[in-house]
Amino acid sequence: MKKNTTNTEELETRHRGNWKEKIKPYLYIAPAFVGIGLFTIYPVIKVLIWSFQKVNQLDTSKTKWVGMKNYSYLLSNGAFQKTLLNTFIYTGATLAIIMTCALILAFWLNKSQGHLTMFTQGAAFMPHVISSVSIALVFSMMMNPSFGLFNKVLTAVGLPASPWLTSSSTAMPSVVGVASWKAIGYYCLIIIGALQSISASIYEAASLDNAGAGVTLRKITIPMISPQLFFVMITMTIGSFKVFDTVRLLTDGGPNNATSVLVYYIYKQVFWESNIGRACAAGIVLLVLVGVLTVIYFRLLSKRVHYQ
Amino acid sequence: MGEIVLKNVTKKFGSNTVIQNLNLTIKDGSFTVLVGPSGCGKTTLLRMIAGIGPQTSGTVCIDGKDISEVAPGDRGVAMVFQNYAIYPTMSVYENIEFGLKNNHIPKDKRRKLVDDACEKVGLQELKDRQPNALSGGQRQRVALARAIVKQPSVFLMDEPLSNLDAKLRVQMRVELIELHHKLKTTFVYVTHDQIEAMSMADTIVLMNEGKIMQMDSPRKLYRDPDNLFAARFIGSPAMNIRRFGNEEYVLGFRPEKGIISTQEPQGCYRTSGTVVAKEDLGSEIHYSVRDMYDDVSVIRSEEDDITVGEKVWIGAKPENIYLFGNDQLRIREDDPRYPDLCRQVLALQ
Ligand SMILES: Nc1ncnc2c1ncn2[C@@H]1O[C@H](COP(=O)(O)OP(=O)(O)OP(=O)(O)O)[C@@H](O)[C@H]1O
Ligand SMILES: [Mg+2]
Repeated sequence: MKKNTTNTEELETRHRGNWKEKIKPYLYIAPAFVGIGLFTIYPVIKVLIWSFQKVNQLDTSKTKWVGMKNYSYLLSNGAFQKTLLNTFIYTGATLAIIMTCALILAFWLNKSQGHLTMFTQGAAFMPHVISSVSIALVFSMMMNPSFGLFNKVLTAVGLPASPWLTSSSTAMPSVVGVASWKAIGYYCLIIIGALQSISASIYEAASLDNAGAGVTLRKITIPMISPQLFFVMITMTIGSFKVFDTVRLLTDGGPNNATSVLVYYIYKQVFWESNIGRACAAGIVLLVLVGVLTVIYFRLLSKRVHYQ
Repeated sequence: MGEIVLKNVTKKFGSNTVIQNLNLTIKDGSFTVLVGPSGCGKTTLLRMIAGIGPQTSGTVCIDGKDISEVAPGDRGVAMVFQNYAIYPTMSVYENIEFGLKNNHIPKDKRRKLVDDACEKVGLQELKDRQPNALSGGQRQRVALARAIVKQPSVFLMDEPLSNLDAKLRVQMRVELIELHHKLKTTFVYVTHDQIEAMSMADTIVLMNEGKIMQMDSPRKLYRDPDNLFAARFIGSPAMNIRRFGNEEYVLGFRPEKGIISTQEPQGCYRTSGTVVAKEDLGSEIHYSVRDMYDDVSVIRSEEDDITVGEKVWIGAKPENIYLFGNDQLRIREDDPRYPDLCRQVLALQ
């Protein structure tokens, strides 16, 4: 008899508990979801909608649907094509330079120890901490063709002076140089972290297995830091695709659109030409490109990445 | 093929001297086991032989040739690491093959060697697995196979069986002994496990704090220890000891040589106490008896009716008693102090 009552009681509480238990997880994630919905999903949808419209900011009732017109304009527009090409060049160049330099620097810093190493590590990371504005300011001064430091050094050692940011042929390399200089330390630190997580006994085993330096690098080190390299490549690609501040501060996309990149183009459409629809269409193009690139990366590289 | 000689070898880590002026000759083709408490320098010693943690001073020779300047890969040694050191990004097969590949062994020969090695350690089914999908024991077997496959003249093994289950460990122990018989190369084997040391070694090197306490055959080490450390380290439960003669001397006897009885034994060293524990292990019974100094263990192989809490006598025959001086060194029968000390021991209460 007694047993029976406890059983029913138990059942009831469990039943009530069930309902509560079911709703609980949703309650816990609700705040985050509201945030994501409000600040991520909603803006993306809004941008997508605007990219098919001719937006009138002053009188929204005059906003009208224009179908694919924004897109067709962009794709046939010379300036935008140049912008796209610039973005690819910028991304490819920074990726190659940063990856190479960060790797070399990381290997070197990982090998040696002592005060000089600590200093170098700190010095390499420094640019990441300094604001882009200061960096741009300092570099524009140093790259000034007539009284900048760089040209003074070049002429002092007998080399021809360079126009740096002021010529359409040297502006892009200059911007790439500044951006790389800023980012190398950060990525270098990530790679050093990865290198240091490899246990010394793995290398000892390799040396007992008579593996030379090249084999050790190819068969042990690179595969073991591949997850971090993969991460670095993806974040760096996405970051480079979205570059804005360096270009805005150093060249304003010039001279003659030589350094105009996607996000800078979007910015110009919004704030100079007040063409929200076109800007949104360009934004969607950026989104799609980054998405496609990421998928390609995952397809091509994820098989070579060894997660442990 | 593989005689290892260490001459005046010292190893320091910074200012911390781990091994000082150690001299050791490991005979060609021997199965030498290094035992000693944790941190006594066993791994350090192996690493010096392998060349991956070179000595601070002194020389290491293999086959009479000073190899201090020879790269680890060219020393003809293979090592099984305490933490396996499996290459995490290679499959089991690639792990085992790696050393052969670096030595430019042709592919078909490699395949055969790897297959043989896998079979020896029972890894045939797991050849294509990635290491992260292996158990601890399976990883250890990969490490073992990786060493075997290279057919080195010296095998260095740092606790290679510590993570296997009891059954597999016994099996691998036999495999290793067989392997040693077959290859007739030098094995240097580190273990914590006394049974492993006793059953596998033809020579045991007992170390403590970077020094060699005794180097002998297992039998000799057990029956005729040179010092108190060796006497206490080998054997389980450890040798019973008691200080006497103004705390200046130590007497010891092995639990398995002890006599336990309700009557006072005659012509023996003897002490009395209370049984505090009786563990029946099936083949033998372990007694713990508390006398007025310490706990004394005695092992008996026959059942008897002594119970916990009972007052008993413990005895040890003179020929089973080991004597040690204040310097921890053994006092043997030929020592002038021996007869007198023996009389003292028999008169002890
Ligand atoms: N890289 C190192 N730096 C500083 N001290 C070290 C280093 N490696 C080992 N030691 C010290 O050297 C001593 C001997 O270490 P070792 O690894 O040889 O011990 P072991 O006998 O193998 O012990 P275990 O049985 O626990 O494996 C220890 O006191 C240890 O702290
Ligand atoms: Mg060790």
